[in-house]
This record gives sequence, C-alpha cells and structure tokens, in this order.
Amino acid sequence: MPLPSWALAFADDAGRTSNSEATLATVTSLANLDERTLVQEAQVGNRAAFEELVRRYDRDVLRLALNLMKRTEDARDVYQEAFLKVYKNLHRFRFECSFYTWLYRIVTNVCLDQLRRRQARPEDQAPELHAGQYEEGTTDFFERQREHRPALDPEKHLVGQEIRARLATAMTRLSPRERIVFEMKHYQGLKLRAIGAALGTSEETVKNSLFRATRKLRNELGELR
Amino acid sequence: MSAAGAMKTCAEIAPLLVFYACDEVSAQERVAIAAHMLSCEDCREQLAEERAFQETVGAMPQAADNMDSASVLLAQCRSELYEKLDDLATPLVKERAPAFLWLRRWMALHPAWSGALMVLFGLVVGVQATQWFTGQNNANALDQAVNVRPAPRLTDEQLAKMAVAGVNLTPSVGTGTQNVRLQLSAEQPVVLTGNLDDMDVRQVLTYVVENGERFDSGVRLDCLDVLKLRAKDVRVRSALLTAARKDRNPAVRLKALESLRDSASDRMVRETLLESLQQDSNPGVRVEAVNLLVRSLETAKPDSAVLPMPGDLDAPEHTMTAPGALGFPPDESLANVIRALEDLQRKDPSRYVRLRSSAALREINERSEQ
Repeated sequence: MPLPSWALAFADDAGRTSNSEATLATVTSLANLDERTLVQEAQVGNRAAFEELVRRYDRDVLRLALNLMKRTEDARDVYQEAFLKVYKNLHRFRFECSFYTWLYRIVTNVCLDQLRRRQARPEDQAPELHAGQYEEGTTDFFERQREHRPALDPEKHLVGQEIRARLATAMTRLSPRERIVFEMKHYQGLKLRAIGAALGTSEETVKNSLFRATRKLRNELGELR
Repeated sequence: MSAAGAMKTCAEIAPLLVFYACDEVSAQERVAIAAHMLSCEDCREQLAEERAFQETVGAMPQAADNMDSASVLLAQCRSELYEKLDDLATPLVKERAPAFLWLRRWMALHPAWSGALMVLFGLVVGVQATQWFTGQNNANALDQAVNVRPAPRLTDEQLAKMAVAGVNLTPSVGTGTQNVRLQLSAEQPVVLTGNLDDMDVRQVLTYVVENGERFDSGVRLDCLDVLKLRAKDVRVRSALLTAARKDRNPAVRLKALESLRDSASDRMVRETLLESLQQDSNPGVRVEAVNLLVRSLETAKPDSAVLPMPGDLDAPEHTMTAPGALGFPPDESLANVIRALEDLQRKDPSRYVRLRSSAALREINERSEQ
C-alpha cells in the first residue's frame, strides 16, 4: 500500500533531509511507494523519488546494455544517457504506458543509436568481448564450472565452446533491431508484445525480427547442431 | 492461421515453430501445431532442434554475468549518474564567452575579407562621424536660442585686437528669431553664438560697423545684414549712422542707409540722410538718400503716396514753396530736405541723381497740392 505523499515531506528538493532519522524515514517510505507515486513525486522535482526509480530498474538496464553492447564502456554510456534522458523528459511522461515500458523504450533507442553508429564506423570501435574472452579479472562460466565437474566430457566441452563462439560471432552480424529483440526475448525474458511496446513498434514486426534473427543464428551454427 | 484445421501442411507449421518453442503463439495456433505434431515426424524433429537451439542460447553465459559479476559496474554507474544529476540541479554558471568570439573566429578564418570589411567600416564611421559633428554644429546654430559659450563680455581691448573671420545668420527653427554665429580671431579663436539680443553678439557687430577701417568690407556688409534687423535699437542705429557717414566703401554706406529704411523718420537719421545727400561721393548712395528722405516724409504724413519712378526723365523741374504749405508737418528738416533736393537737382554731377531729385521734388509738390 503506497504511503501518503506527506511522507515525502521530510525530504528536501534534492531528496536529502536535515537529519538521519528523517533520512531513514524517507528511504523507507520511498522504497514502499508504488511506481506511479514515485514517478509523480519525481515529476514534481523530488530527487529522492527519482533515485528510487533508478535503483529499481537500473540493474536490468545495465544488464540489457551490457548484453547488447558487449563492451563495458559502451554499456556505461548507454546507462548514463538513458537515465539522463529519463530525468530530463520525465515531465512529459503521461502514464499512457508503464514507466518500465517507457524506460525500456528509451534504453533500447539509445542502444540502437549506439549500435547503428558502431555499424557505420566500425574502424572507431574496439572489438567486442565474446564468450571465452572476457575482461581481465573475470572468468568464463564454463571454466569456473570445470573444477567442480571433473568428469565432463572433453569433446562435448570443446563443441560447446565452438557453438558459443559461433553464436557470439553470429550475434554481431544481426541488425541492431534483431539483436535487441533477440536479447530482450531470450535474456530479458520479455514477451513479444512488451518488446514491441518498448521499441515503439507492433508485435508482428517484433515477430519478424525474432524470426530473422533465429534463422541467421541457426544457419551460423550449421553442422554443429 | 485462423483455424486449426487450416494448418495442416508442414510449410505452414514450420515458420511457427520458432514462436511455438518460446510460447509466443496464440491458443488456436498452439492447438493446430500440437495436432500436426502428432502425425508429422519431420516437424517433431524440427521442433526438437528449435528447442535445443533455444536451450543452447539460453545456456550461453551472458556478457552481463561476466562483466558485472560483482555489481561493481552498477555501483559506478549509479555514482556517475548521481553526480550528473547534481550538476543538473546546480544552477549553471554560464561561462562568459569572450566578447565578439564569433567575429574573431570569422576574422581569423577570412583575413582578406576581414581587411576589406575593416576598411569599409572605417570609411563608414569616418563619413558618419563627420556628418554627425557637422550636424551638431548646425543644430547649435539652428536651435540654440542663447549663447552656448557664455564667455565674459568682451573688453574694448579685446575688441580692438580681434579680427572677424565669419558672420553667419541663420533662422532659428520654431522660434522665428535669427541666430548669429561669429567666428572671431583674438588672442585665441572664439566662436560667439546667439541671437540678436545677445549683448556680446551685438557689441561685436556694432564695433565692426563703427570701426570699418579695421575690417574687411565683406564682413562689414555681413554685420549690416544682421544689424538692420535691430535698427530701431539706439545703439545699433548709432552704429548704422556712423557707417552711413564714414565708411570708406560706398556699398557699405548704401547698405547702412538701406538698413535705416524703417527709421527714416527719426531726426538723427534724417540728418544723416541729408548729409549723405549733400556730401556722399557715390551717386548710388545719394539716390538712396533721396529715396529714404522722401520715404521719411511719407511716413510722417498719414497718406502714403507712390514715389515717382527714377526713370521719369521728362518730368518738369519744380520750384518749391514754403514747407508749411506742403501738407507735410512743419518740420525744419523738411525745408532742409527740399533745399538739399533743389541743390541736387541743379548741381549734382550725376544726371540720374538730378532726375531722381527732380522726381522727388515733384512728388513732394503734388502731395502738398493735395
């Protein structure tokens, strides 16, 4: 049950309070507010409410950005640009869809722009990190699992590695829209209707994109299947 | 795909397997596909491959799992975002761009055009500034009703040393008065500006007229042009009379007499006119004196008459009677006028003067007979 809006009165315009008790009260009350109330509070300039919205959704946003961009710096840029756009345009949000959908629409648009720029000028881009060649300090999931599963068939392991490498390469050959649809469907677990809403397009168009992406990836795997 | 019965072929089922495997088909499609699977081995294999593919894809480690396993990146992103939000919330201190930055950049990129524009700018400013200063001076001359340089009254010593470089008379806009601008050269150049009531202006003008030998005749004529507007002033009239008697230039004397036209009935003026009539060496001056004397008699008489034209050469000579019988006021000067005219009529070396005198006597006689 959402708290009354007077609960936010403890917070100042920047969402900060004058003492620790009030701060605790604010954080507690904000965490309990529903999405609509939080958005309304953020729209009238409550910084704490906006930060609460960020905390609720930014993990998914960053995950989507990382999976799509495959580069930490690009994902970081997408995160910043997307949330700053949300902050600057929040007063235009009219609750015609859920905030989550509106946020994803902004994030996917930013990702699409970045991917299109990357396609247009590939020479300026650092190579993407594929499965099996992750950044320093991180290890492959399957590598981590090997010690705990010593009986794993070596041949099957090698085939698995080859499949992952080919899939990763094939993913880079998808169009930005196909890549986003595939990612949102298989890794974000969104329904096609929600993906269409996020991308601002019809479910049928999303279906077509997913179908093409799947065909391309399966063709890439070829005889390994 | 509207009915289950309509989807019986493998070609119709195949495109839907992708969505069937991930549960993105409608209820009707699901029923139709399930029914087809029961009887089609190939499609069952295709569906199995599709599911295996999606399992493979789903089992793939995601980039996010490896890049942000410790949520360090997420914390960094949040921190950066909050800092940017702080920057947005802080009132922006607008950096003041250097003045005319765009112009400087343009000039740096277009040196030839810049040079040409600078020259053009200089020309325009020079012309405009000249016009502006000229306009300022003219505005002073036209609109200033009082002296704009309230210099102390000029002393006699200063007057004795000064030279007049120019006299300008301009009508004052809106006031109907005349403004005078005197350019003097004394110990240092002085410009006197003011109307005719200004004491300094009038003092200079009368000094020039009375001391004609020190000044150029053109300057004296200019001064007379100005002073005639105040001929009824005693001080000015005295100066005009002096000029009419003593100035060495007949044009100046003539101008001085003309300036006294409206004051001809004054006793002092009439005496001066008589003196000019009898003694002035220039016939033009003498004729003007005749005219003014006749005019003075007319103004003394209520009825005005038309003067005979000087070209009336066939007019008979007249013998004048006593002044009291003429209808003019019994003024002693009238007798003197008639006597002087008779002398001119007989003795003046200029035929024109003699004829003009004769005409004047005839006219006076006609008046007396009326």
